[in-house]
Amino acid sequence: MHAESIEYIKFTTISPEQIKKMSVARLIVPDTYNDEGYPIDSGLIDQRLGVIDPGLRCKTCGGRIKTCPGHFGHIELVRPVIHPEFAKTIYSLLQSTCHSCHRILATQKEAAEVKEKVAEIVSSDELDTATVLSTIEEEVGKGKIKKPKSVKKCPHCGAQQRKIKLERPTFFYIDSNKMKADEIRDWLSKISDDDLKLLGMDPSATRPEWFVITVLLVPPVNVRPSITLESGERSEDDLTHKLVDIMRINQRLEQDIDAGAPQIIIDDLWELLQYQVTTYFNNETPGIPVARHRSTRPLKTLAQRLKGKEGRLRYNLSGKRVNFSARTVISPDASLTINQVGVPQKIAEVLTIPLYVTKWNIDEAKRYLERKEYPMVLNVITKEGMRKRVTEVNREELLKLVEPGYVLERQLVNGDVGLMNRQPTLHKLSIMAHTIKVIPGRTLRIHVSACNPYNADFDGDEMNLHVPQSLEAQAEARYLMQPRDLILSPRDGEPIMALQEDELIGIFLLTREGATFTKREACSLLAGVGVTDLPKQASKGKYSGKAIFSMILPKDFSFDGKLGGEKISIEKGELAEGTITVKLVGEGNGALLIKLFEQYGSEFVNTFILNLSKLAVAVSAMMGVTVSVKDYYNADQVNKELTAIIDGTRKKADELLKKYKEKKLDQLPGYTRKETFEIEVMAELESARTLAANVLRKYVGPENNTQLMAMVKARGNILNFVQTSMLLGQQAVRGRRPQRGYRGRVLPYFTRRDNTPEAKGFITSSFFTGLKPVEFFMHAMGSRDSAMSKSLVIAQSGYLQRRLINAMQDFYVGEDLSVRDAAGALVQTIYGGDGIDPSKEKLSE
Amino acid sequence: MAKGKKESLIMTSGEAVGTLAAQSIGEPSTQMMLRAFHSAGISSVITTRGLPRVIELIDARKRPRNPGMIIRIEKKISKDYEKVREIWRKLEDVKLSALMSGYDENLRSGVMTVHLDPERLSSYEITGRTIAAKLGKREDITTEQDEKDIVVKIKKKEGVKSTRTVFVNVLNSSIIGIPGINKAVVQQDEDGTFYITTSGSNIGEAMKIDGIEKEDIYSNDPFEVLKNYGVEAARNTIANELISTIKEEGLTVSYRHIGLVADAMTLTGEIKSAGRHGIAGEKASVLARAAYEETVKHFINAGVFGETDRLSGVAENILIGKQIGVGTGRIRLGVRKEDIKKLK
Repeated sequence: MHAESIEYIKFTTISPEQIKKMSVARLIVPDTYNDEGYPIDSGLIDQRLGVIDPGLRCKTCGGRIKTCPGHFGHIELVRPVIHPEFAKTIYSLLQSTCHSCHRILATQKEAAEVKEKVAEIVSSDELDTATVLSTIEEEVGKGKIKKPKSVKKCPHCGAQQRKIKLERPTFFYIDSNKMKADEIRDWLSKISDDDLKLLGMDPSATRPEWFVITVLLVPPVNVRPSITLESGERSEDDLTHKLVDIMRINQRLEQDIDAGAPQIIIDDLWELLQYQVTTYFNNETPGIPVARHRSTRPLKTLAQRLKGKEGRLRYNLSGKRVNFSARTVISPDASLTINQVGVPQKIAEVLTIPLYVTKWNIDEAKRYLERKEYPMVLNVITKEGMRKRVTEVNREELLKLVEPGYVLERQLVNGDVGLMNRQPTLHKLSIMAHTIKVIPGRTLRIHVSACNPYNADFDGDEMNLHVPQSLEAQAEARYLMQPRDLILSPRDGEPIMALQEDELIGIFLLTREGATFTKREACSLLAGVGVTDLPKQASKGKYSGKAIFSMILPKDFSFDGKLGGEKISIEKGELAEGTITVKLVGEGNGALLIKLFEQYGSEFVNTFILNLSKLAVAVSAMMGVTVSVKDYYNADQVNKELTAIIDGTRKKADELLKKYKEKKLDQLPGYTRKETFEIEVMAELESARTLAANVLRKYVGPENNTQLMAMVKARGNILNFVQTSMLLGQQAVRGRRPQRGYRGRVLPYFTRRDNTPEAKGFITSSFFTGLKPVEFFMHAMGSRDSAMSKSLVIAQSGYLQRRLINAMQDFYVGEDLSVRDAAGALVQTIYGGDGIDPSKEKLSE
Repeated sequence: MAKGKKESLIMTSGEAVGTLAAQSIGEPSTQMMLRAFHSAGISSVITTRGLPRVIELIDARKRPRNPGMIIRIEKKISKDYEKVREIWRKLEDVKLSALMSGYDENLRSGVMTVHLDPERLSSYEITGRTIAAKLGKREDITTEQDEKDIVVKIKKKEGVKSTRTVFVNVLNSSIIGIPGINKAVVQQDEDGTFYITTSGSNIGEAMKIDGIEKEDIYSNDPFEVLKNYGVEAARNTIANELISTIKEEGLTVSYRHIGLVADAMTLTGEIKSAGRHGIAGEKASVLARAAYEETVKHFINAGVFGETDRLSGVAENILIGKQIGVGTGRIRLGVRKEDIKKLK
């Protein structure tokens, strides 16, 4: 709430004067604790820099650990050193200014022109520095502005310009003479403010001589706390170690200078000081050795603390650890709705929700506070914001205190709202709001239809539960994040929560042509979804599956469609023709669900999916859906055709090989003859599997449960079936036939230069018949390759998504349906060209 | 608001459509294949597919791995196979080495004899004379044509090594066609019109050929399109290429998301990548840039130039713990004073 007052943040560099002003202590002793274990005055743990030990008070502000924010100190360096991160900036400043008069290497006229140009750019709509710089760069490229560093003679004093060289990270040379840091500082300090403005800098924020450090700011001890090991030994933070190093060298340098030591020794120490300071700022500076801890572990210095995934920015600021959350294994629960989540009693007892006491609910609040078992109040937060744990001892006392303005933290109860999340959080549907239902057990329960958006299954997946605390957050969760309102995916407008797996088999068996059920069966199926009527009999004592299905359709619903050549027609709530398939109720293309959504809304579709899945599973269970070994015995005709396919493929491959050997193969553009042959033979061999699939489709029908599974898109596809009962087909490594292994052959079993299909991973056995040893190895190669590439895709697509989100996260739709970025710049005049919500784009009207 | 569409289908104001688009592309990309080539398809032009292609487009790579064009022919001749073939002959970049059966070279005397292959010459309908004439334009050699051979003599002898370099250059010099186009294939629509697909893209040169529909050359290289047709066309190229790549994988993503990505990339009139060298790296906010990549660099530059962070974007507000300015964060809830009075 206080953060609301930050209006902007201006970045500048700090001057030595400012450092001294900020500093509460000049540090001179390069050590931490004395022999008694007491902090040394003017050492690195000087007590004026803040407190890290409980019980002690800060010598500057008198605060304790929680109240003292820490205070900066400073070290005065006897010789200035270059700030390594500014070396590049210093370099270009030196190049752009004259070594003798320190003016910018441009004439008054040129400078005026540039000034004008800059003013023009700056006063135009865009104000950010990046744009200004890139525009200026463009002008330079066009030759309109001359690059100062290419100027040979100073237009002001006429001095011939000398060549400046930067040897990374911090060494400067002028005409191959080494420049000392103090010389550089002198030069930089003589550049006028006006010239700096021409160079794009803001002299009110930054003077370039501050890039050369004379006074080093020492962060407070809170920033670099020491930890006490079990043995009672103190272990200092990496930054403290580094600062000790800097101070040691600084002290030695001072002593040597005072003692009048030879210049070489002083220069050596000076360079060492430069090294220590460089690694203090960034221990991964290219070109210098990494500073290490005694245990040879590289030190984590300032840059390392901020940088990267584990750095301050991404690890602690962009993402934070939270309270009011739980994590455990998930399991399915068919008795829940899609909108619910089953929360174990144990979790519900620990997580809390605030109950804001007002004058209208004070009685209810007090009654809550009186309770001594499960739904009870765990904490009381007073008006001052003090959190007090409710115990047997203080309950009565608290009861007397409670008045409007207090907040009671009570345990979770049925009907509270919780956010469920499964990582990786790839899209907004990976976090959804569920109504909490407290249940026994140790796992979080969700409905199977809610698995899809989370991409969850129950083979040990864990999920997180967050309990929104503020009323705004709870309202937002309830109104915007419940699964029932998110059935249509914002990705493509198709249902994302729909029937899957055995539900699809069930619904197929129920509604397929000619499926009938006895009265007893019909009753049991319909009662399961709360329908107490029976449909019209199809024949005596028989009820058609279609009629049973129709009972859960609204009576005024009509639907006509043609899907993949199959006609489907529903008239006035009666399924007249067609079978219910994935295309109608499945994930990603549920035409029927979309139609229902259009006419009856999300709430109805929600219950419809629920009922449908219940009905379908009941049918599956009633009819018995199982796969067995008998599914994989081929009919003689199938085996015959399989042999023909294998022989045919071999023959074609042989022909290709012959053509290749006779050099009659037409080369593909951009490929050698050998590659051409490989590509063509690969295509030929891979087609064997597709041919075999056609045979299976021709001879094996839905009476085979494996085939049924594949047909209704419940699980597996025809290729899996082919590989199980017919042949594995061609194995591929990196998209080609296996090539490497031994000299001239993939496996030692083969003779060299054997180019037959078998020698290059063509497998004619099936999983059912079992693989020959060579086939086994070929298959393992293919498997390993696909396992490797899968892990790579995940890494690559993860980074892709991070980039996309970073590029576009500021975009929003304005009131006028335009898309704008953070600065309010127009991205699209009307979102998507028509302003339509993509999750509703499949809905008509 | 678009006419004829019910208000209930209209996007909610404030919705974070950028994040929505990014997630809608990122989420299915996990299911995309990594293999760039896979099933190259016989004889047709090879293209990059799957995730590598999506990354290539979003990264705004200056040189895509497999550029290609689809060239439409002017209506009056588009059904005339012979005329189309004539155009085709001008397209494919044929090097000298592709027209010869072999060569002899004498590096010391600087003479190379190229033996032309009459079969190949006839298939490209070119004569030895035209080849010699074409080679004659080079300034470092003289050419003589004699029946089936072309004798190349070097003008300035500067040692064996440089002679050899010149000879290699001569052998690799294009004789006919447009540089950059490795392969062109004449294809036919269902209605009988011919068009040409190429591997390699060079719109600028292709436009110079008569008989080609100059306004209707499709290239899969956004930068090529930007150069020749402008930024709107480049935006459409990015969007079309993205959507067709995604569709090819059997995945569905609404065009609205893809269009937004393409718009974001071409917003400034040039093509910017989504990564640290493009949109994300040029944001106004120092904190947003620092939180993304190259943290130290951005802080240092902010200090040098005295940058100010106005804290208007999402990333920087998360960083400082303030409510973000998109979605429900744009909305403020207010209660009228008289309503509060009513409560009491």
